[in-house]
Amino acid sequence: MEYTVEVCARNVEDAVREGVEKLGVKQDNVKVEIINEASQGILKILGAKPAKVKLTVRKKPDEYMKDIFENLMQKMMLNAVVSVKEKEDESICLDIEGKELGVLIGKRGNTLNALQYLANVIYHRQFSFGRGRILVDVENYRKKRKKTLEQLARNLAVKAMNTKSDVTLEPMTAQERRIIHLALKNHKDVITYSQGEEPFRNVVISPR
Amino acid sequence: MKELVEYIARALVDYPDQVDVKQVEGERSIILELRVAPDDMGKVIGKQGRIAKAIRTVVNAAALKENKRVMVEIIQ
Repeated sequence: MEYTVEVCARNVEDAVREGVEKLGVKQDNVKVEIINEASQGILKILGAKPAKVKLTVRKKPDEYMKDIFENLMQKMMLNAVVSVKEKEDESICLDIEGKELGVLIGKRGNTLNALQYLANVIYHRQFSFGRGRILVDVENYRKKRKKTLEQLARNLAVKAMNTKSDVTLEPMTAQERRIIHLALKNHKDVITYSQGEEPFRNVVISPR
Repeated sequence: MKELVEYIARALVDYPDQVDVKQVEGERSIILELRVAPDDMGKVIGKQGRIAKAIRTVVNAAALKENKRVMVEIIQ
């Protein structure tokens, strides 16, 4: 992603508008430096110079999202520390740590998934060229949930084999279904697939 | 609670100045009436109401501590 751009245009306003479009962010997140104003020259032809501006994105995606979450925590009256990490593929990991953050997770991660979904929408609205994803975790919930799901997958694979019939899991998010698929990817006796429509899409474990 | 809805809505829309939230308080429930610019309606509702649903989930989590039911209504 580009975070700074120089644009020439007929006047300053046009140059700014063009530059903001090029950066793909909203104007309030852009710092404008005017390198030179347009000058009309004699008879508007001789010696006319275009306006030139330099635009810089004020807050890069990681800082921007960290800010959003710090404000959210404050508005939810939660005492929490937000840390941010940007991965190589432009994905941004936001980790929230603190006391009594169960409300942020909710039943089976419901609230956490809603927060993560909103974070992704906000990120793509603000940075229209952003290619990454926003991953939100509270108190390592995702890591623990991954372990639980992998264990569940293995147990249900055994059940599918013993009963020689399909085992249907409860609806999950794409992120969680993926964990199940990956856990049983190399299993020699069962296959996995997903069925149904979002948000009720669920995994089926089926004996080979 | 009002500020939370305002903050989330402002982050989602194109015209943050036109975001307005009114709080109507009942005995056991709070109703938050969210108004946005007509062009921004879709931005706070989302496909099949997905964004609206996520906003409600987050607000309900925040309301848990106050032991009140909070309803977020998007008003045209």
